[in-house]
Amino acid sequence: MANLELIIIITLGFGMLAYLLGNLHRTLGSVITILGSAFVFGSLAMYGYTDTLDLTVNYLPGVLGDLGASALSHYFALLVSFVYLMVAFFNPYYIDKQKYPALYSMLYLLSLVGVIGLFYTTNFLAFFFYFELVVWSSLFLIPLGRTRSSASLYYGFSAFGGFSLLVAILLMYSGTESFNIALNLAALSGTTKVFVFLLMMISALSKLGAFPLHIWLPNVLTDAPDPVTGLFSGGLEKLGAFVAVIALVRLGGVGTMISALNIHLFNYIIMILGAITIVIGTLMAIRQDDAKTLLAYSSMSNGGYILVALGFMTTTSISGGLLHIFAHAIASTSAFLAIGAVARQTHTTKISELGGMIHKMPITYMVYLIAIISMAGIPPMGGFISKWLIFQGVISEGFIFVAIATFFGSIGSFLYVFRPLAALFLGQELPEYKTSVKEAPLLLLIPMLLLSGLNILSGVVPNYILRYTNKILSELNIAQLNLTQFTIQGNNGDLHPLLIASMFGIGVFVAFIIFISLKKSKKVDLMDTYTAGNFIYTEQHLHYTSNFYAPLERLYEAYIDKMQRFYQSLSIKVKELGEVFKYYFFTYKPEITVFWILILITLLLWGDIA
Amino acid sequence: MILNILFGLGVALFGFVLQTALGGINRKVIARLQKRYGPKWYQEFLDIFKLLSKRATSHGWIFDFGVIMALGGIIATAMFMPITNELVAFDGYDNFFIFVYLIAVGMLGMAMSASGSGNPLASIGVMRALTTMLAYEVPFMVVVLTIINITGDSSISMIAEFQQLANNHWFIIALPLGGIVAILALMGMLGKKPFETYIAPAEIASGPMVEYGGKQLGMLFIMHEITVFIEVSLFVHLFLGGAENIFVFLVKYVLVYTFVNLISNVNGRFKIDQVVTFFYKWPLLLAVSQAIIAIYLGWVI
Repeated sequence: MANLELIIIITLGFGMLAYLLGNLHRTLGSVITILGSAFVFGSLAMYGYTDTLDLTVNYLPGVLGDLGASALSHYFALLVSFVYLMVAFFNPYYIDKQKYPALYSMLYLLSLVGVIGLFYTTNFLAFFFYFELVVWSSLFLIPLGRTRSSASLYYGFSAFGGFSLLVAILLMYSGTESFNIALNLAALSGTTKVFVFLLMMISALSKLGAFPLHIWLPNVLTDAPDPVTGLFSGGLEKLGAFVAVIALVRLGGVGTMISALNIHLFNYIIMILGAITIVIGTLMAIRQDDAKTLLAYSSMSNGGYILVALGFMTTTSISGGLLHIFAHAIASTSAFLAIGAVARQTHTTKISELGGMIHKMPITYMVYLIAIISMAGIPPMGGFISKWLIFQGVISEGFIFVAIATFFGSIGSFLYVFRPLAALFLGQELPEYKTSVKEAPLLLLIPMLLLSGLNILSGVVPNYILRYTNKILSELNIAQLNLTQFTIQGNNGDLHPLLIASMFGIGVFVAFIIFISLKKSKKVDLMDTYTAGNFIYTEQHLHYTSNFYAPLERLYEAYIDKMQRFYQSLSIKVKELGEVFKYYFFTYKPEITVFWILILITLLLWGDIA
Repeated sequence: MILNILFGLGVALFGFVLQTALGGINRKVIARLQKRYGPKWYQEFLDIFKLLSKRATSHGWIFDFGVIMALGGIIATAMFMPITNELVAFDGYDNFFIFVYLIAVGMLGMAMSASGSGNPLASIGVMRALTTMLAYEVPFMVVVLTIINITGDSSISMIAEFQQLANNHWFIIALPLGGIVAILALMGMLGKKPFETYIAPAEIASGPMVEYGGKQLGMLFIMHEITVFIEVSLFVHLFLGGAENIFVFLVKYVLVYTFVNLISNVNGRFKIDQVVTFFYKWPLLLAVSQAIIAIYLGWVI
């Protein structure tokens, strides 16, 4: 479908259809989510990528019809709708656990409508509408999982972000009397610009799950249904990145210039927040026992990288940031889906309860392995290229403290991504999973393998993606990244991803030749290991899972709950304030009602006298 | 291209032979330090080839696959390493970050294989190795950030040539604080005392390698030797002005490795959390002050 308006309307129709058919049969509704998201991704890939979308609007009412296309919106829309499509394959297999399967399928497509609208609208009011549509529809997806409490947490932070976005929009409206995005952003100056920037960044931080608005992210991602977790990490979080691109890059430098660092004050503050996000996300991820929570904190820390990258106004770091959005979306979705596939077979995501999954689920294991290699920023995967580009900016600008955070996060990511690998997939094969578990069904393997392929592709030939981000850069009036067919030119040296990948291939080939040309080894059982003279016959005793990094965790254990306690006491204060209002305004006590009536009459009389 | 690849493989082989021979010589040096006679200088070669020829046990496909990935990743990293200014397999692409991150593929392969053996002692070793890595890598990267910021180039051979130009000192002299940090980080990388916690033969039964024997252990030994070659050569190129010819490279390489080994042998061993607190105290402070002095104040000798 080449008409953008019709794409939105038809997806909405798919949502309704999913609800109706989902009521007839639960699986039918979830199949519609696959078809609906495939329709959106297919249309966007066909016409959006080549920029031939038809933008005429006949049916959408009012401001909702203000649609426009740019390379930036295509980039985000393609990426997120692809994540939606991949996750949709998981829906039929997880729908049985839902209490309201038809509702689930409808909300899934409704949030996709919100996402598409958000990326393509040219009107701030519609932008807010679509933003809230995504928040509300995804809000009701969360409590369909484990608990309800995290949904209210998500709503609290999202509402805070949403309303600060609204205030920013109204502030801009008071200046220009128009809701047009490009017009408003161009007209900003002085103090209003600072306020708008800060308000928009609040909404970006809250959506991205960055410090200090990160509390909801691990809770929501842990408690949401398994497919929705992948959706949040790979898709919905990226809305925050989109708002951040608008605020950070399109507004340009905000605040006074710090001449020693050659950067504007507020951009620097955002980068520091990004750096703190990286460090906190890394440290928290290291100590998690639930694989989903662990990956949630890693999403948080990668959100920090995106903020740091977009904070610089240089070509390499912004391309790095845009590529990181892509690489992280793909990698974290495939990691979450792999964990989801394990959870489907074993009904748990706790690392301490799992072990030796590789023997029954080798393909899922490989998918997870490829995903974490990308997340840890190791070649030959996409995460390496984007981190390399981000480091280029950090190093040539000489931002030492931001650099410490980025280096710490990148080395720390080896630590936390290795935990599920070592304890969940590897290690002893626990007896309870020896017979019951088998490889995930084919329909689940297809999206995981596709995502893995993209992970590798984005690391081997990233120039196809970087050429597209160059289009975005030229739209944003930033110098383009220098690319040849296979090399990327950074600030201080070139990178040849294909060369690295093929040398890795050659290295592995040589090692393989050495390996097979030597004597064949004797296969022994996993329990047949060196135990220093002890006799151990139970697998659990030979499986090292809980408190993996205990010596390291001990060093910062005392500080971890500080933030949570701050927000808890804040929520108590807000509740108390609410009680005060409730006591004085919404009450059944007659004396208070009489009091207000008296006040009212006094005021009315006063008006009469005056 | 084929010539370049063959040359790269040659570099890896050269690194293996050099480091294995030097490792044997160093065993003799240390023995003399401790008033022993010590093994023959080619003892390490004998050990490795004996292991490769023996029949081993395997704990499943990931156990073998991890070993292949480990050795493959390290060979690939070594292929990018310059030996002298001219002796580079892929001129212009010997980017510093390749060495830091491509080496990690090898490490990941080894860690994966060790965990795949199903022995908790191996997992403890891996945990300690990764924690040590988190400790030494950050101060080291800050120092390298300073160097790249000054030279404006992240290619190892270009950094080496920068130091050879007239009026430029070796970075160990130009950035003295950073030089100290780099030596400490190098000891961490090589797993030398006091940072050898992850091998800790007396406590955790030889660390990550506990389950290996035969060809797997032999291949991991080869991998270890090439890793040491990469790390020491990285130090030579970044801080000691690289090498104009192969003779200079050999002298510098031998001196650095022997020096580190000598320091290591008069030290005790840190606990793993002490390694982390140590590196995040003084080396990081020194690295940051060096970066501020060099980048913002511009005081480079």
